[in-house]
Parts: sequence; structure tokens; C-alpha cells
Amino acid sequence: MQEAHAEANKTPLYHWHLAHGANMVTFASWSMPLWYPSGAVAEHQINITNAGIFDTSHMSVVTIEGAGSFELLQPCFTKDLNACVGKDRAPLRPRQCVYGAYLNDEGWVIDDAIVYQIGLESYMTVVNAGMAAAITDHLKYYVQGSNVRITDLTGNVGKIDLQGPMSVKALMKVLQDPEKVLPDMAYFTFKGHFDAKSDTADTFLTDGTPILLSRTGYTGEFGVEIFVDRHHIVRIWELILLAGQDLGVLPCGLAARDSLRAGACLPLSHQDIGPWPFINHPWSFALPYNGEGTAFTKKFIGDRILAIREEAEHTYAFVGYDPRKVSIHDPAVVLDARGNEIGVVLTCVSDMAVARYDGRIYSMASPDKPENFKPRGLSCGFVKVKPRLVAGQEVHLKDSRREIKVMISNDIRPDRTSHCPMQQMMR
Amino acid sequence: MKEIRELNLPDSVRYAETHEWAKPERDVVRVGISDYAQEQLGALTFVELPNLGDVLRRAEQFGVVESTKAVSEVFMPVGGEVMAVNADLVESPELINSDPYGAGWIIEVKPEHSEELKSLMKSAAYREMLEGLE
Repeated sequence: MQEAHAEANKTPLYHWHLAHGANMVTFASWSMPLWYPSGAVAEHQINITNAGIFDTSHMSVVTIEGAGSFELLQPCFTKDLNACVGKDRAPLRPRQCVYGAYLNDEGWVIDDAIVYQIGLESYMTVVNAGMAAAITDHLKYYVQGSNVRITDLTGNVGKIDLQGPMSVKALMKVLQDPEKVLPDMAYFTFKGHFDAKSDTADTFLTDGTPILLSRTGYTGEFGVEIFVDRHHIVRIWELILLAGQDLGVLPCGLAARDSLRAGACLPLSHQDIGPWPFINHPWSFALPYNGEGTAFTKKFIGDRILAIREEAEHTYAFVGYDPRKVSIHDPAVVLDARGNEIGVVLTCVSDMAVARYDGRIYSMASPDKPENFKPRGLSCGFVKVKPRLVAGQEVHLKDSRREIKVMISNDIRPDRTSHCPMQQMMR
Repeated sequence: MKEIRELNLPDSVRYAETHEWAKPERDVVRVGISDYAQEQLGALTFVELPNLGDVLRRAEQFGVVESTKAVSEVFMPVGGEVMAVNADLVESPELINSDPYGAGWIIEVKPEHSEELKSLMKSAAYREMLEGLE
């Protein structure tokens, strides 16, 4: 096992993870914690009830700066940067970020990403582990003129995700001027910069470390992502853990990250979205639809997906009746009511913070959950099928070991906290 | 992750190559999975138990233990009739993680051939086998 890790990339926290008993796994050629001794179920649940902290320094930051940056990103990214913020579809402004994807000409996904507007003609995009080279090449291929600088900061910038309803209470203890910095931070906004030399570096931890603080995450729960120079990562990680000790904050690994995001209906790049048309899926918010959903508000690379959506396959979320899973590596197929094979299972995990009572799904966070509620867990994930299905419809998932009945669903884990108002969570 | 030397492998039980343990108790043999097995699986999420009265041969599958990471069959360390199942595991599969040789037992078997128990590994031999797997 150790030899396999020797080949893999290591985040600055690698030795911390080992010293704290993490079960390590190689993910996208990075050696990462799968879980710590508290276990993946406890780590999943702590993000619903308290807060969890994740080392996500395997992800990549790419900056796009200089005159022409907007003109490069607008056709390369799926969101319309001129019309993407809020219900009114305002243009993206500095200190705001958006989720979308980079597609190829065919409309297939190269990677999903968040684009941050740092300033006028200054952006950064956060892409998945191992994807910075592909996205940098893609952007460089389409760049016009020589004024745009595209810089891959992989390995130089670390990231810590602090997620869960109590995350901001832990953050307030380590942030300078929390009462000034935090209250106006809406979902998908950010402040500060990880580079002390940046004009926008105005957000600091109590020890003076400049951070880029982003109100985003991959758990579906309230929380932040903290971008910081790699040299500060271990110190900051320990600082936050210490601050969060009495709030129950636990370090969490990739297993909990995967089950939390699936329960929150968020896709995993190269598994739920990938080399097939990026259309007919639960993530229509990542596409620049007009109000009626009939057309796109801009032209972009891959926009032919709209023309082929009648033929393209459909991706749906599903939720099961108990925590039993099928293995997508088996592989697992989808069967309709008559036993016909209609597609494949993309993701199948267990959300261990939920359970069904009388046909309804409750979470540990549900205010109206039954007395003596026990989060026995429910299998959930995504399927890609040929026919159009509707929420509530039952299908069967089958691998070589078992067949399970699941329900196609518009959503999975109820009562998620990601959109809760910041000021409410600070109290 | 625990090192092999850190695993709890009590001398009071015998071990199968497939990581179940067996412990004679009066006229039955109690069966569960080893500390190594629960550590490899990680947090348990579901246990499929056999029916009372099932008669299964040695090495035959008697159930499934499922974690966030994997779905794994469990096999009879000794053949015989299933006399009891640990119903607590239905609500609390995590007992296998927290107490694999105690509250996390899985079934009790009335053994058909008592010599099968003797052919299972003692703690030291099992630990040696695990060291070979690393």
C-alpha cells in the first residue's frame, strides 16, 4: 500500500493525515484520506449536525488575467457571465462566483468548475484534481491575442473546506473582523485573496494569513472553502480544528465528501458528467437557459447540445429504500418495470443522515423528524437512461450481486443548509 | 489505519481465511468478523442476516456486511444450523465496528462437525496470514 502512495501527489497535509490514522486512497493520482478513525458515517453526519473539515488541496486553481479574459471565458464556460447571478440574472461581478462546466465542441464535459471574478478582467477557475492541464490547454487553444495570462497554480494554492451548520462559528474564532467580513456574504460570494500581494487581499485570519474565503462547498450544507498559500495549510488546518473542538468539528475524508455531495444532488465530474452530451440532467442551472428553458442566452463551445437534446440520454437522481448499494464498477445497470435494461448507474452511495418514515424522507436536520429518528441511511446517486422518466417512478438497479428497487427523484437529502442566511448561522 | 500489530485478535476465538471468527459457547458456535475485516470495510451501514434454521455448509455464504465503501459476503467458518442471529445489527450495524467480538457478533451456529472448529486458525497464525497480505 505504501509503495502505491509513493507515486501519488501529496498535499501539504499528507503527513498530518497519516499521523491521525487516516485510511489513505489514491484519487485522481493524489494520495488522499478516505476516512479517519471516526469513520465515514460519523464524518458524513457531522456535516449535517455540526461541521466537518476537508483537505481539498488536490483541486486546482487556474487564474485568467488581463484584457480579453472575459472574452475568453464567456464562450468557454457554460454559464452566461453577463446573466447568471440571482433570479434577476445579473452579470457576474467581483467577489461573486458561479458554477458551470467546460465543454468540447461535441458538448461533452471536459470538467465542471467554479469561475470566480476577482476584479475587472481578472478571474480564477477552480477545477477538479488533475484537470488543470486539460483546462489550461483548452483555454489557451481558444485565447485571442496575447494579453490574457493563464496560470496553473496547482500545488501552490491549498484549499480547506469547512462545511456544516456550525462551520461559521468555528471560522469566527480564527478570522480577523468576522463581524465585518461575514454578515453580507451570500451563497456563491467570496472575499479576499490567498496572495498577500493582490490588491484584493483584504481578508485575514487572526494570525495574519491572507485567505480567499468563498461561501461555497460540495456537501450541500452551509459552509466555506478557504484558499490559502500552500505553506500555511497545515497551520491553518490545525488552527481551525482547535477552534472547532468544542463545536464537534471533525476532519473528514473523501468517502464522506462523496456521500454528502450525492445526497445533495451534486455531480462528480468524470462519473456523473463526462464524455457525453451535457444536457437532460439535474444540473440545468449550469447551462445558460433563457427564462422559458427553450434557448440559451449566449453562444458557447458545446452549445450544440440544445439541438440534440431530443436524442440525448437522460440523467436522473434516485433514492432507495434502505442503505443497500450496487457497485458502479461491477458495472450496474438500470432495469425498467418490465425488466428491460434502459441504462447505467453513474453513482450509488448511501446517505447515512437520512431515513424513510411512512414513505417520506427525513434528515437528521429535519425540524419535523419523527421522535426517536434513526438515520438508517438510504442508497442514492444518479442513473443515465435512454427513456425519459418522471420523479416518483421506480426502477431497479442491478449488479452481479443484487438487484435493488429505487425511486427516481428530483432531490435526495431534505433540509440542507447550504442556502441558510449567513447572519442566522453566525448567531 | 491500524497496523497489523495494532489489531485486536483475541486468543479466545478462531479465525477463517475469509476473516470470520468463531467461538464455541456451550453447544453453539458464535460467529462474527475480525477486527481486520471491520477495519478494512470501514463504517458498516447494513447487515443481511440468514434465516433461523438455515443449514449451511462450511465456507458457504451466510450473509452480507456492507460499509460505505464495499459490499462483502460473509462465509460460514463451520457448517451447521443457524440457531440465532444478532437482531441488534439491523438497527445498529456499527456494533461490528465498535465491538467486533462482543456486541457485534453476527450469528450462532449449531456445528455439524466439531472438528471444523479445530481446523480454523489461532490468533498468531491469523496475524501471520494478515502480515503476508500486506
